[in-house]
Amino acid sequence: MLQILLNGLSIGSVYALFALGYALVFSLLGVINFAQGAVFAVGAYLTWSLTTGSWGGGQVPLWETEMRLPFLAAAAVSLVVCAALSALIERFAFEPLRRRKAEPLLYLVSSLGVAIVLVNALLLMYGAETRNFDLDTLSFIPVLVEWGDLRVRGIQLVILVVSLLVLAALLLLFRFSMVGKALRAVAENQTTASLLGIPVHRTIVLTFALSGALASLAGTLVATGFSIPGPHFGLLFGLKGLAVIVLGGMGEISGAVLGGLLLGLIEAAVPAEYSGYKEAVAFALLFLVLMVRPQGLLGRRPLEKL
Amino acid sequence: MLANRNVRQIALGGALVLLTFGSHLGAAMTEPLPIGAALSQTSNVALLGQEQIIGVRLAEEYFNSKGGVGGTKIQVILEDSAGDEASAINAFNALIRKNVVAIVGPTLSQQAFAADPLADKAKVPVLGPSNTAKGIPQIGPFVTRVSAPVAIVAPHALEAALKRNPQLKNVAVLYAQNDAFNTSESMTFQEAVKADKRLTLGTIQKFQTTDTDFTTQASEVMKVKPDLVIISGLAADGGNLVKQLRQLGYKGLIVGGNGLNTPNVFPVCQKYCDGILIAQAYSPEAGDAMNKALVELYQKKHKKMPGQFTAQAFTAVQVIVEALSAIDQKKKVTTYDVKELRQELNKQILGQSFQTALGPISFDKDGEIVQKSFYVAEIKMDADNKNGKFSFLK
Repeated sequence: MLQILLNGLSIGSVYALFALGYALVFSLLGVINFAQGAVFAVGAYLTWSLTTGSWGGGQVPLWETEMRLPFLAAAAVSLVVCAALSALIERFAFEPLRRRKAEPLLYLVSSLGVAIVLVNALLLMYGAETRNFDLDTLSFIPVLVEWGDLRVRGIQLVILVVSLLVLAALLLLFRFSMVGKALRAVAENQTTASLLGIPVHRTIVLTFALSGALASLAGTLVATGFSIPGPHFGLLFGLKGLAVIVLGGMGEISGAVLGGLLLGLIEAAVPAEYSGYKEAVAFALLFLVLMVRPQGLLGRRPLEKL
Repeated sequence: MLANRNVRQIALGGALVLLTFGSHLGAAMTEPLPIGAALSQTSNVALLGQEQIIGVRLAEEYFNSKGGVGGTKIQVILEDSAGDEASAINAFNALIRKNVVAIVGPTLSQQAFAADPLADKAKVPVLGPSNTAKGIPQIGPFVTRVSAPVAIVAPHALEAALKRNPQLKNVAVLYAQNDAFNTSESMTFQEAVKADKRLTLGTIQKFQTTDTDFTTQASEVMKVKPDLVIISGLAADGGNLVKQLRQLGYKGLIVGGNGLNTPNVFPVCQKYCDGILIAQAYSPEAGDAMNKALVELYQKKHKKMPGQFTAQAFTAVQVIVEALSAIDQKKKVTTYDVKELRQELNKQILGQSFQTALGPISFDKDGEIVQKSFYVAEIKMDADNKNGKFSFLK
């Protein structure tokens, strides 16, 4: 039982981390940024390339460089690049629509377009092959952590701890810092916020950058824990992230955290014989929750933003 | 009215005559002799398919340098069968339309069950280069394979594991349930474990070839504290499973199925690949003359030893070429039309024996390979943990 709890929390915490990016953008603009899943994949590939020195390998010929960053540095670079990428996505896929006061559906289509372009760019560059992190670059992480009968791979514990720390820090930030207050003000009403002297546009760009950074971090963690099965894994993860925020309540920051952890636990509780169906089970339960509580677990308002 | 009906009857009769003759006329054999290869150039199976493509290309080069079929050159026509059934069917259709004498392929058993019936119906001989699931030659009279079935190859690895550790008792079996070959292979392993009085089957765990997170399965395996783990999966998922199992502290022996039988697992499980035991239908160290020729040819181009997938694909082309040569000695193959030649070829393949890189082989009446030499290899990783080799056990 404890083992399942631990396994579930480990993967669930990454879901939470990733879904938080969705929730942030949704709380601010009331739209879903589909490109989040693609940024997740970009983050994973970028960290992989920076640590292994290997670039390309798909249509683009494999290019081996001598420049190999230590894992933590690579993850940090990837985080910054993905934050910038996400801010760029805001600039080119969201801002023009926002200025025209476009329908929320158009944001969805526009970000979906960005996602498909990014994933295909990765496919062009890296091909569809599986990529694995060099185990030597992760040698600073203990391989196995045992505690009585409980045993967990070191990397999974790292995933859990890092994710929970980042989540806690962000929750504190939103609650108590000026940035957090600005964010909540913009989410409440953009016009009022701007009258109060809050730089609305900058807050939005910052939020996108933050969600990009979270996607990159989640991508790096998942890729190191398991592997990169190909560029499309970002899209599947994107779908799961979507399930998480619907489960937790759209645009609810703490709902995303709760939803993520819950989805991880549900998946881990699926008996091993049926692990092939764990996604189906998870989504079926999501469906059930929505039948009972359409606004999600922590959602307070009806979903007028949709 | 009457005239109208007459006209219609004449037209219908004419069409029928044309159809009847048309189907008998067929296409005359062209030069070079086209041999089809439906192999996985893309998809997650490409890792295996690429090795097979090297095999058929080397065979094309080798046998053409030896004069082809009685002086007539052969040409291997490649179609990508990717990783799914639909692509395999498309590849087969394309090859049949291109009037090939026979088809080498497809890469997966799962695809063979879907695509082989097409070729069988069109009376085109198919040689499975790597289809080892149960029931492949039984698809039809035109389906044969050079890949020995798992039921014969797989248990050799279990024997090797028992030899390594005679105290072996508790066994855990894992397999990819969404793949016909891996499921069939795992059933063979499970039966072999159950049949052996010294062994008990502790747990059976299933996964998907598309999975990357094996936490649940690995945790379940660790619970039963096995001395031997048997894995039937493909390179990416199987290698990943090995890695996660070892990281979770599993110290015992690991037997891998045919899907792990490729150097492509090395970058996946890296240092954790070390020690995986895999039964082999082929050894690059075998002393057969044809094997020496293959190894020399392969090494010249790729600077390493060929694997089983390459050798079997090479052998499939060899069987076709040698059977065609035997036919050619009685009547020049270029004088046949395609349909006749395909039928003759199928008969010849089933009746002949061949000295191949896999050792001496022949076929039974179903088209099942009769092979004598089997081996077990152990993966030994190099010090850099990036490359390794299959070291053959004596």
